[in-house]
Amino acid sequence: MVISPKHIFYEVSAVKLVVEIVLKVRDLSVAISGRVIIRNNNVFVERNSVVFLLGPNGSGKSTFLKAIIGYPGVEVISGNIVFEGEDITGKPMEYRVSKGLTLAHQTPPKLTGVRMRQLLEALCKKTGCDPIEIASVLEIKHLLDREFGKGFSGGELKRAEIAMLLAQKPKLPLIDEPDSGVDVDSIEIIASAIKKLISETPYKSTIIVTHSAQISKYIKPTLTCIMVSGEIKFCGGPELLSEVFIHGFRELVRENKREG
Amino acid sequence: MALENWLEKIRERAKSALSKPALYGLDVDISEYLKPVSGESKLDTERVSEVGVDLSAKAYYTQVDQAYFRYLSKIPGVEVKRIEEFIEENPDEAREYVWKLIDPAMDKYTAIATLKGLGGYFVRVKENTRIEDPIMTCLFMSIGGLQAPHNIAIIEKGADVTIYTGCTIAPESFGLHVGITEYYVEDEATLRYIMVHSWNRVSHVRPRTAVWIKPGGKYISYYVSIGRVKTLQTYPVIYLEKNAYTYTASILLGLENSILDVGGLAYLLGEGSAAEIISRSLGKDFSRITTRARIVGKSGKGHIDCRGLLLSENSVIETIPELLAETPNVILTHEASIGKIAEDEINYLISRGFTREEAVGIIIRGFISLDIKGIPERVKKHIETIERITAEKAL
Repeated sequence: MVISPKHIFYEVSAVKLVVEIVLKVRDLSVAISGRVIIRNNNVFVERNSVVFLLGPNGSGKSTFLKAIIGYPGVEVISGNIVFEGEDITGKPMEYRVSKGLTLAHQTPPKLTGVRMRQLLEALCKKTGCDPIEIASVLEIKHLLDREFGKGFSGGELKRAEIAMLLAQKPKLPLIDEPDSGVDVDSIEIIASAIKKLISETPYKSTIIVTHSAQISKYIKPTLTCIMVSGEIKFCGGPELLSEVFIHGFRELVRENKREG
Repeated sequence: MALENWLEKIRERAKSALSKPALYGLDVDISEYLKPVSGESKLDTERVSEVGVDLSAKAYYTQVDQAYFRYLSKIPGVEVKRIEEFIEENPDEAREYVWKLIDPAMDKYTAIATLKGLGGYFVRVKENTRIEDPIMTCLFMSIGGLQAPHNIAIIEKGADVTIYTGCTIAPESFGLHVGITEYYVEDEATLRYIMVHSWNRVSHVRPRTAVWIKPGGKYISYYVSIGRVKTLQTYPVIYLEKNAYTYTASILLGLENSILDVGGLAYLLGEGSAAEIISRSLGKDFSRITTRARIVGKSGKGHIDCRGLLLSENSVIETIPELLAETPNVILTHEASIGKIAEDEINYLISRGFTREEAVGIIIRGFISLDIKGIPERVKKHIETIERITAEKAL
């Protein structure tokens, strides 16, 4: 086969296109136990982008992240999810995680008898990292010999969860409510660890779900989307954040509708 | 002569109980095990190492069936010998310790052990002797039949020691194991007792254990059953004097058609005495596990914590905690739970990058992992190995 300059151009462009858009979520509708939670949502995550998904409690933000990672019980009823050019919509969570997706849970479960150290060491064995160094970054060395999640304060639990993500070395982390129920000092530590996490990923991108947007004091989004009642109503630049703080979600959505 | 009389009295008493069933557990026809068994008793070192026994230990006791014995102690202050030697050499003292805490006529199993049992260890740890490396004891059944050793340990004042016992059997050997164990923990002494059982699908196991703890003494027991077994029933009894403490943990893995009935009874006799009875049961295949725990208190504190994890649709776990306060000077509590592995815990670990099998392994390991205080590092390593093997076998 003769490769023409034109051919090379198209091949390179195709590769570029696939890599530039890391995650494509198209027309995604999701149900849990037969009840539709989110409808017809579209989000594209490009390289070097920090996407904030904002919305009031119960709007479906966490379900959206769970659908992307393929959490059991979260059923995609329409639309598709494409990660690194591969349609992963029907794939199990184990496969999606092996491909580099991960989810920081809003409230991780308590694991009886499982020490924090044991989990970090097991992850670091897989990915090649230093559990102590990670624990130092999140200031949780004192939790290493405790049972995971047991008796942790809100801030400690979030710090422990981000530590897990650092050890996991994902390609694209999805982070659910890193700032809810967290004291000011912890937010600063969590934010700086999330920045480190993003910087260590190949795409330097993430989706962060937050209803209070407190984390925005430390991490600036490149794209902000507002989800209300299971639908992403609109997306915009970082300026949307200040409008959310002024008007609240529902008022903002109403205004946006009026403006068409 | 006095010795013979004493032994004869014990034997006579035992004869009266030869057909007496045990209080708990499936009733086994013991006549099968009264017949002689032919074959050569041989130690299978590979199987023995599976239950964690280190035969290169500085103090050890090994018994195969009722015929082969090896034992020694290179540790100053630690005496290890056969029970028969102890009785012959110190008959007056023996009467103070042998068949003192356990009645030979308790049931048909103590009876058969009295009449047909051979061997068993005598361990004495002298006053204030403190050793970190465990004294290893191994009871192995190679040709089957009856194995009924009688074990005695006297931990003298202020001594601190660990006895590690591994009991196992050759595959497919029909065996009845009745280990009689009487432990005496003297004032301010500490005895840690680790026992690992790995039997086979045709063996019946009926250990009979009793422990007396004098003022300020500590008895910490860690018992694990990790193999298949036809039936296993045991109900150790612990007596606690003033400020004495006991912590007993039983980790039970039910495999195939195994029937396990494991309990524990603590008598809080003295002021400030304290007992914790813990069990963790893992039910696989068609196994049935019953855990019983009873604390009877006159004074002090007692707590029972029994948890069960069902790993199959066909396994059954039952837990029976009992508390009896005989005066207002005692505080007794219990907690118990039985369930299956929570899916959200498995899913959480999968989202962290573990496979489903790894996730289940981590959760099971966590379930059986206990925070036992005051365990020396070297003993901790043994327990970690047991935990790992148990979790692997549970998968």
